[in-house]
Amino acid sequence: MTVTTGSAEFTLKRPYQTNRSGPVRWVFSHAIRKWPFWILVFGGAFGNAALAAVVPGLIGQAFNAIVASPPQVDVLPRLAIGVALAQVVRSILQFGRNAGSELLAQNIEREVRDELYISLLGKSMTFHNLQPVGDTMARATNDVREVNFMFSPGLSLVIGSLNFLILPLFVAPQIHPALILTPALFVVSYYFALRHYLGTLRSVTDEVRASFGHLSTRLSEVLDGIETVKGAAQEKAEVERFRANSTRYRDASVRQGDVEARFLPMLLFSTALALGLLHALLLFRQGLLDVGQVIYYFGILLMLDFPTWTSMWAYSQISLGLAGARRILELMNRETTLDQNAAGYAGPMRGEVEFRDVTFAYEGHEPVLENISFKVQAGQTVAIVGQTGAGKTTLVKLINRTYDVQKGQVLVDGVDVRDWNLEALRRGISIIEQDIFLFSRKIAENIAFGKPDASHEEIEAVAQAAQAHEFITSFKDGYDTVIGERGVTLSGGQRQRVALARAFLTDPRILILDDSTSAIDSATEDKIQRAIFTAARGRTTFIITHRLSQIRWADLIIVLRKGRIAAIGRHEELLETSEAYRRIFSE
Amino acid sequence: MGFFSGLNAEKYDRQYTDKQLIARIIPYIRVHIRRLIVIAVIVLAMSGSGALYPVIVARGVDLMKSQPSYAAIAGVSGAVLALGVLNWALNWMRRRLTVRTVADVLLKLANDAFKAATEHDLSFYDQYSSGRIQSRITSDTRDFGNLIVMTTDVVSQVAESLLLAIILVRIEWRLSLIVFALVPAVFIFAISYRRLARRVTRRGMQAMADVNAAIKETVSGIAVAKNFRQEASIYEEFNRANRTSFRVNVVRGVVLALTFPTLNIIGGVVSAVLIYSGGLTVAQGMITAGVWYLFLQSLDRFLFPVMSLSSFWTNIQSGLSAAERVFALIDAEPAVVQTDSQPVTHLEGRIDFEHVNFQYKSGEVVLQDFTLHIQPGENVALVGHTGAGKSSIARLIARFYEFQDGRILIDGRDIRTLNLEQYRRKLGIVSQVPFLFSGTVMENIKYACPDGVSDEEVVAIARQIGGGEWVETLPQGLETEVGERGARLSMGQRQLVSLMRVLVQKPSIFILDEATASIDPFTEWQIQQALALILEKTTSILIAHRLSTVRSADRIIVMEKGRIIETGSHEGLLAAGGHYATLYNTYFRHQSLLYRPEGLDEFLQYKLELKLKEE
Repeated sequence: MTVTTGSAEFTLKRPYQTNRSGPVRWVFSHAIRKWPFWILVFGGAFGNAALAAVVPGLIGQAFNAIVASPPQVDVLPRLAIGVALAQVVRSILQFGRNAGSELLAQNIEREVRDELYISLLGKSMTFHNLQPVGDTMARATNDVREVNFMFSPGLSLVIGSLNFLILPLFVAPQIHPALILTPALFVVSYYFALRHYLGTLRSVTDEVRASFGHLSTRLSEVLDGIETVKGAAQEKAEVERFRANSTRYRDASVRQGDVEARFLPMLLFSTALALGLLHALLLFRQGLLDVGQVIYYFGILLMLDFPTWTSMWAYSQISLGLAGARRILELMNRETTLDQNAAGYAGPMRGEVEFRDVTFAYEGHEPVLENISFKVQAGQTVAIVGQTGAGKTTLVKLINRTYDVQKGQVLVDGVDVRDWNLEALRRGISIIEQDIFLFSRKIAENIAFGKPDASHEEIEAVAQAAQAHEFITSFKDGYDTVIGERGVTLSGGQRQRVALARAFLTDPRILILDDSTSAIDSATEDKIQRAIFTAARGRTTFIITHRLSQIRWADLIIVLRKGRIAAIGRHEELLETSEAYRRIFSE
Repeated sequence: MGFFSGLNAEKYDRQYTDKQLIARIIPYIRVHIRRLIVIAVIVLAMSGSGALYPVIVARGVDLMKSQPSYAAIAGVSGAVLALGVLNWALNWMRRRLTVRTVADVLLKLANDAFKAATEHDLSFYDQYSSGRIQSRITSDTRDFGNLIVMTTDVVSQVAESLLLAIILVRIEWRLSLIVFALVPAVFIFAISYRRLARRVTRRGMQAMADVNAAIKETVSGIAVAKNFRQEASIYEEFNRANRTSFRVNVVRGVVLALTFPTLNIIGGVVSAVLIYSGGLTVAQGMITAGVWYLFLQSLDRFLFPVMSLSSFWTNIQSGLSAAERVFALIDAEPAVVQTDSQPVTHLEGRIDFEHVNFQYKSGEVVLQDFTLHIQPGENVALVGHTGAGKSSIARLIARFYEFQDGRILIDGRDIRTLNLEQYRRKLGIVSQVPFLFSGTVMENIKYACPDGVSDEEVVAIARQIGGGEWVETLPQGLETEVGERGARLSMGQRQLVSLMRVLVQKPSIFILDEATASIDPFTEWQIQQALALILEKTTSILIAHRLSTVRSADRIIVMEKGRIIETGSHEGLLAAGGHYATLYNTYFRHQSLLYRPEGLDEFLQYKLELKLKEE
């Protein structure tokens, strides 16, 4: 595998390319790669059906031998062994079909997940910032699994049962040409009945799913918020609401049951048997068939029960799988607009940042930031304050090109960030987000994440600087403590300091700190503040903060309000110019 | 019991004897007795028609001994058709009735379970996770409903094969024995196979849990990996998990793929034996060819019932233990019991704790001989370390928990004698993690008084907080959807909404368990405004985490290990230099505007030097 630079941020070569123009094509382009399994599936399915059709023939021969006068008992052992052999071989072939489709399904699950993951790695940070992790998770697990189920048991049963549906069309006329009538009529009416059934069922099951989702969402909210419910004395109202929700679900499931109860192919199958029997007996009466052939033919008709009962759910399985494939594909096909710009300016970075009349909106939304202009010298500390939703986080993410501006310019060292080599730009900028993600690995590995070859001394030094050394060494395993294991969880303040250490190790010229976690006690607060002072030395630092103590000593304070700069300047200046600012600093 | 039963047992679970459990189930079933009788009749009729089917077909085979008449041909084919149609129609009716019965039983059971859940006090919710309670209300009730479906299915299949067995034995008992030989063979296969399947499945599930965790971690970690350009290393981790998942699933899948082929082999061997021995019997003239065919056809009709029967007992047991779990939830005794239900129309807001003893669990005393008097209209702040008993006081006032000794008086009346619903309507409670329900901001504000606050009133009250600026920052104002659990609002906004909820409710007593989450200073200022509005009109109990809240109280009560160790005003206590002063240094010092973080001076010094150097 080779890492290449292209338009995507990160590319891994997969062993083969797939066609992403539509779910069916895409799934097919995966499936076709696994052709040896298909031989197993198709061969197994066909052999299974063919041998299943041989058995009634043998039984018919046995009947002919016995009803002959005198009865020919001596052929019985041969025929009995023939039946046993046919059944055993067909079972082996059936196992081949099952196992083949299972291997196929598991292989495809692995490949699909791999392709999805590689595609996710290649997406821009913009994409990952906008895409909820829970949603991605659902696609990487549930939807991928649905694609698996589509092959096994879904397609395996469909292919298997189609063989059982089609084979009678060929075998019956061998017995007597006219006998094609019943299987042919069955196949045609089965097709329409099934189409109707699946169409009706889909809308009903959608409602079942929706009503259940509604029911359980509210239920889990109420149980989690039980204190609020009780505090507001709303138990009775909630019981009523639950009754309404559960009644809706009840009605939907009754409707689904009604549709399923009316499953027409079953009736068609019974009718086909009666019709076939009538036809065969009439031909027998005319002397066109013998006893053995009638029994042979009836046995062939009985094969139709496999497609009949399988169709109750095998086809739904396939449509579920395709829906899963569509969702995965949709995620992979979502565009990622930023490019590497490998030929761009590559530093070294000093850390000067300027916004020139910047306006930014998420696609299809109102602008989040409007007409933002300011300039920061290298090494300065900037505090960004404002209410949630004022655009603080978005603003800092324009600096490392997580998003690109629509109007205006963001410049680093006087160069438009779009003219920077993306790699160089991002290497110089480190962001510590509000929700800090640490891997379930050793603390040392977490700190060294951006510089895997860091020595232990280096790691300890940055942990010291980030005020994290003390609490890390308080763990039994020290730096080798695995986060998340044996109940080791870190508090918000501790996570923040590990993240700071992680950032220090790569020594960025610009550090962006979304510092919205709160310290419950003053001692922790002292630690965090000290770590931040260290961070702010010798580099440009942006701090999104709620802490009045931090705001005060910043070189520049930007007060954002609804996407615009409401006030900007040093603490003393803002006390003069901004009413809102003065308010928060008044006791 | 299902093999997971050990995993989700809870302490309130009780062991019902079979008799008790049935006595508990019967009332739910009894109301549907008519439907059930009809279902039973249909099931029997279906078994009859099902058993008759191969017999008729065999008759058709016998017709061919000589030249059949048209009437006989029409008769046999007509009978086959009629049986097929009848069976389909009966099945249709049975399923319609079953699905209604099951849905109705489920509806009643789920509603009873939910009602019981809302009646439990908070000590119940402390002990048991809401996820587990939810699964009892939704999935356990459903498992119990499946029990009914399964029973009718199995009964109908077994009845059909029994009928057929009787017919077969009466016709030719020796051949029947060959058919019946199938039963133990399939049974043994089914049981040993299930053991194998369970083993691979269980192993598979453990592995899958690990794999899912690894996938979750690598998906969540992508953003960080990109930040540090470590995509290749995180891909390696993902790839490992993905491969493990593949290996585990292939083994499981291939084992499961064995089921039907094995059954077919068993069936095939038995039918070969039947072909041989049946043929001989026919040749000896002991039975007709039709009967021979009947025996051959009957084989399949024994395979399925035996398979279902072999798993029936396990399924019944897991259905019953699901029922047991639901009834345990319904039958659990509430801890908070009111001795009377006196109306509460108006409250002054006087609260008296007299020698109260309280513990959540026996042996862990929280409050001991606790006495506290709060005057109407007084604002009291409770401070102290975690576990000092602050929240317990608030929760006892809200009557969320039962105390063991002493008395709590509200306006001089014993709290146990009040009508709880009316009393709680006079309480305004904001919990530490403010909780919102999906819906609009407006709906959430009105939550505590659904019977009558106009939108205008809400808007007017909203304006009193910082000029209503907080409403303007919501994308659709008061009609903004808050999302599940209020997730689309910031923590500060959620607090504002829950304070609004209290403002609209106009309670006599206000209980605030203050959030520890940090909030931007602008929103914080608005929260203080809202608080001030509430404090003005109510008796307030504030579990304070913010300096500003502590300061706004009339009286500060310092607690330690369930006892009051100091009381007084902020300035007074601080000047006294006692416990409060220590607490202040631990929790509140850094919130003060006067706070100068350690290292600030060095840092400013550094900045200054830098500047001088530049100049």
